[in-house]
Order: sequence, then structure tokens, then C-alpha cells
Amino acid sequence: MTELIASVASIDQAEALMHAGVDTIYAGEDYFGLRLPHSFQRAELTTLIERVHAQGKQIQVAVNAIFHNDRIVHVLDYLQFLAQQKVDRITIGDPGAIRILHQSQLDLDYWYDGADLVTNSRQINFWAQQGAKGAVIANEVPYRELVDLVPNVKIPLQMLVYGATAIHQSGRPLLSNYFNFVQAHQDKLDRAKGLFIAEPHKPDTHYSIYEDMNGTHVFANNDVDLMTQLPKLAALPVSHWFLDGVFADPDNFPKIAQAFAQARDWLASQSLTAAKIADLENLVQANQPANRQLDTGFFKIDPSEVK
Amino acid sequence: MIKNKPEVLAPAGTMEKLKVAIDYGADAVYIGGDAYGLRSRAGNFSFAEMAEGAAYAHAHQAKVYVAANIVAHEGDIQGAGDYFRQVRDHHIDAVIVSDPSLIEIAITQAPGLAVHLSTQASATNWETLKFWQDLGLERIVLAREVGLDEIKEIRKHTDIEIEAFIHGAMCIGYSGRCVLSNHMGLRDANRGGCAQNCRWKYDLYEMPVLGDKTELLGENADGKVEDFSMSAVDMAMIEHIPELIEAGVNSLKIEGRMKTVHYVSTVSNVYHKAVSDYCADPVNYQLDEALVDELWKVAQREMSTGFYFNTPTADDELFGKRRKRPQFKFIGQVLAYDAQAQVVTVQQRNNFGIGDQIEFYGPNFTHYHQTVTELFDEDDLAIERAPHAMQVVHFNCPYPVQTGDFIRAQAIEKPARVQR
Repeated sequence: MTELIASVASIDQAEALMHAGVDTIYAGEDYFGLRLPHSFQRAELTTLIERVHAQGKQIQVAVNAIFHNDRIVHVLDYLQFLAQQKVDRITIGDPGAIRILHQSQLDLDYWYDGADLVTNSRQINFWAQQGAKGAVIANEVPYRELVDLVPNVKIPLQMLVYGATAIHQSGRPLLSNYFNFVQAHQDKLDRAKGLFIAEPHKPDTHYSIYEDMNGTHVFANNDVDLMTQLPKLAALPVSHWFLDGVFADPDNFPKIAQAFAQARDWLASQSLTAAKIADLENLVQANQPANRQLDTGFFKIDPSEVK
Repeated sequence: MIKNKPEVLAPAGTMEKLKVAIDYGADAVYIGGDAYGLRSRAGNFSFAEMAEGAAYAHAHQAKVYVAANIVAHEGDIQGAGDYFRQVRDHHIDAVIVSDPSLIEIAITQAPGLAVHLSTQASATNWETLKFWQDLGLERIVLAREVGLDEIKEIRKHTDIEIEAFIHGAMCIGYSGRCVLSNHMGLRDANRGGCAQNCRWKYDLYEMPVLGDKTELLGENADGKVEDFSMSAVDMAMIEHIPELIEAGVNSLKIEGRMKTVHYVSTVSNVYHKAVSDYCADPVNYQLDEALVDELWKVAQREMSTGFYFNTPTADDELFGKRRKRPQFKFIGQVLAYDAQAQVVTVQQRNNFGIGDQIEFYGPNFTHYHQTVTELFDEDDLAIERAPHAMQVVHFNCPYPVQTGDFIRAQAIEKPARVQR
């Protein structure tokens, strides 16, 4: 059965997401994880984990930041905390954190999440050899590559089926630097401000941008929505579908999750028809923020078009 | 006298640049092969050329590394084992790799070939260095985001070789964690297709969830609209060679496999001189300002120290108006010098002629300046200018220049970018 994983912005939203049919709640703290809808400190995360486990659902925690020395020294303590809380799995992108996990011998499963770097089966199997129980596939891998890749991987794959695609992480405060240069808007840095950049001569393009303690993040022009592609994805199979609500409306995101959960269930009972997909797609569109467009990202791209 | 003298590692986009870099003081060069490299437009090396380059390097006590630092997609890695064995058997000293699939193939299928982790893998802490060391890698090229104090801390915890970028253009983001080019133009930044979208000029808007977008572009000091950009100035660590050496960096890396012979020769020479001078007498070492001046002759942008001392600010990005500064062009190479007649024979690389102020420079940091007052072609006919590529000309020269020395001339000033 396909597993639905959703990022979470609050404990209340977690309840709504689980009610909508999400199997695994994805959360974390900015100090250790990247581009999260909300930074859960330990006390709040503990409450979240209790609530998730009380529903018989799973919790996945982001430990996928690029760590410098100052933070890597706090990773062991955080992993011990997560193991104590019986977190079901974590995601890691920095090999240093994997080394710490190995040496700690904690009972904690990890999935490899190197963002855009996870692009071939041999690499994924390398991380499997290093103990990874799964891997988060890059959004830049088209379906036609997945067809060849999936049969070769030894561990399950998580893939973004809904939400914003991160396309750039800088260690520099790029918005602060610009605003300091023009001496204006110095307070407009965080995600809530809704800032975006547009390509030269393409005023309708929309690349969200914000700053946080992990640097500056830029996101793709449109959010990903693979609702219409789910039968193909399930057939491969890509077994873990990720819904990222980082730019979604907090109240509407569970409705989007519900549409994907419904699709997942109908696929399992072999009753997902084209008409039903169209209805669910309309539901996703209806709950998408008005200023954000949706498309299928790299999914339908012909690999030979990429230079 | 310092025993652990670090190597100066220079880029070599072609065989000519490889030889020039070594002649001009590089202790090692890095090149691209026909596969798995990130610089598809650099002149990449065949196996035979690798062997020729390695032979030249080894004869001069230098090393050659091959960059194979793509992030591979399914199917890209077919034949990689054979490729790495060929690289090894053509006497290359190491490969620079970032994709773990290629790392694993290199280690298991080409035993004896040293593997260096590319900066594309963004290694930023000592646990990460130890992870890769445990797997058998010999060297880590640090992420450009690692500061000098962080390097010192890393060095305390691990003895793996550390390579750090000290000069040249920089990615604005964590290398490898940027696919702007993929999404804006279907060019894979991690497979050699980077279109440098970070350097574009963007509009910047704010848009509340309910509402219309508002442009947020501000003005520069001249009251003109300043576009948003993510374009870094270049790096130059010439003023901090002692700190880098004392921090325990083993290899000082110069960026630029796409750069010219003029750049490669000049930058290699400058850093070779600074490192040699410091290591020979660290107590009395003082930076020779002439080295800094020399780097400016091949600079494309303003220069900064990147992340070495602090998180970069607006001053480390290309904002604001352009400032005029001297530009130099590479005009030729000395083919022969007749000391008795005081006549130099030169192969032209760029148009020059009578009246031009020229500068000869050689591998041992020799510099001679003169004005061209006469010029003759191969038939000994007096000419005004040498306009033809590779044209052989001769003229009077009172200085003891050497065969192989390069010649540059101050070009018409072009605008350059500068921070406020």
C-alpha cells in the first residue's frame, strides 16, 4: 500500500492531515531540518509525536540540513532525543550525521535525503549499503528515468507529489544583502512575506524566495501536482508519496491531502477512473493558493531535452 | 621553513594550459576527461592526452587530477569502472568525484586510483570528512561556505587531506544544491549544463496570499533601479596565504577551467610565489603588494574572501554601478630572444602594435615593461601592427626575456563591476 507523508505546520493541522488519510507526519526543527512549514522545538515536537502515535500513525523527522561544525556537535543529542521519542524515521542529507547515527547505535531508521543530488539507483543503493532504509528522490528525475531506476533500487523511494520544489540553497543571506544595498525592506525576509523573483523579461514567472537560519532558499516557478500521474507512479512503484505544505494554505492543505489519500485508496481498490482523477484534480486546484500555479514539474520531461 | 608546504592547484582546460600552469608554478593541475565532468565546454582530455599531461607534470614534480564530478542520472554511469581504470592506467594522480555512485565505482573498480571528494558534495564539517575518509577517500575539497576557523576545527579532528578554493569565481549557493539552471532552461547544473542563472538580473516582488503583487526593487546610490541578483564577486585569498597554511590546508585551489592561458599563468605564478616565500621564511614573510597588483591584471570581477572570515554581505555581491579599472590583454608569447642584437621574436595572440605599452612576464615572476617602437614581420618588413592570430613578429627589446615568457598589454578600459 502506498504511504502518504505530509509536512505539518501545527499540531492541529497534524490532526486534520491524519484525519484526511495521511499515514506519516513530517516535521522538524529549522536547526536540523530544511525548509519546514513550522520549526517544532523539542517540547512541541514531543507533543506532536504523542498525538501522531496515539492515532496509530508514523512520524518522520527532518535531520536533513547541511551541518557546519557548530551544529554537527549537537546532532548526537538530537538523535538521542528522537530515538527516545520513538520517532519512526528521520531523513538525513549530510554524511556526517549518518556517521554519528552509526556510531551511536541508536534504534532510529534513516532515509537519505540529499535534495537534488539523489538521481540514480546506484547512488541510492550506496546509501542503502550505508544503512538507509529509503531515499528521497530528486524532483529533477523524470518519469522516463524512473522507469529504469526503480527496478534497480534496493530500498523504497519517497517522491514529492504535491508542493513546492526547492531549486537553490545559498549559505548567504541573499535578500538581506540586496535590501541592505538598496537600504529598504530589510524586514521582508521570511517565508510569510510571500516574496518571489521573476526571470528577466518574464514578468509572470514566480520563484518563491526566503531566508532562514539555513540560508536563502529559492523554489521552482510552479508547485508540483502529480495527481494526474499517480497511476503511473504507483505502477513503478514509487511507494512513498510526499505532500509538502510549505507554501500551502494551512487550512486547505489537509483538503489537498484528502484528495491524494482518496486517489491512493481508489488506486488500491482498482477503482480510480479518469473521471475520478479529474474530480480530485479539481479539488487540488480549488485548494491551491490563488497566487501559486501547479504543474507536473520534471515528471513528463523527455530526459533527452535536458542538456 | 615550513615542511608541510601546500600545493598550488591550478585549472587546466587544455594541454597548453596544463603545461603553462606547471611552468608558472602550479604543483598540481585539474583537468576534465571526455566523460563525467562538469565543464562540457572546456577542452577536455582524451586518455592519450591525459597520459601526455601526466608525463609532463610528473617530469616537473607536479600532479594531475581528473574531475569526474557530475551528479549522474540513471544510465549515465555505464562504463564508469572502465573509465576510471583507464584514467588510473594513464597515470593520473587522482579523480575528483561527488556522486557516491561514482565514488564507489572508482574505489572498488579502479583500485590504486586516489579519490578526492568534489566541492559539489558540500562537505562542511569534520564528521562528514571522517565519513568519506572511512570509505577510503584521500582528500576532501571543502564547500566554499567553510570559514577559516572551521577549517582549523576540522583539522583538529581529522588528518585527511583538505583542499580549499582560494581564487576565482564562486557559486552563490552551496555547490550541488542548485538546480536553477535545470528549472529555468532545462540545462542540468550538476551535469555540466549550468547557465549561471544566479548572475541574471531578476525582478523582486512581494505578494500576500490575498492581493496583488508589489515590486520591491530598490534604488542604488545614483537613484537608479537596482535589479535583484544573486551574483557573487570572485574570491582572492592572496592576502591570507599564511592563515590558510597554518590552518592546515593541504591544497590551495584556483577556479577556472574555462579561463585563459593569461589567467592560468598569472594566478599560478602569484600563488606559487606567495606560498614559496611564506614557507621559506614564515617569520619574516610579508605580502608583496606586487602580487596583488598582478592578480588584478587578470581579474574579471571585484574580489573578496568569500566565507573565510564572515558570512558574505552585500559587498561580496555584484550590486551597483560599474567602475572603470585597468584591463590587460594577453598579446603574445616569446619564441626566441637574441641577447646580442636585443631582438625578441614573438608569436602574436592578440592584436598589438607600435605605441602599445607592453609587459613581459615569466615563470619566475620576472616583469619587464616597454613601449613598442618598431615592429617587423617574418620577412623583416616594417609593420605598424600585428593583427593576425599566431603571426610571428620581432622587435627590439632591451631586457633578457626568456623563450616561453608571455606578453600582455593594457587594453582600452572596459567598465568593471564594483561594490559601493
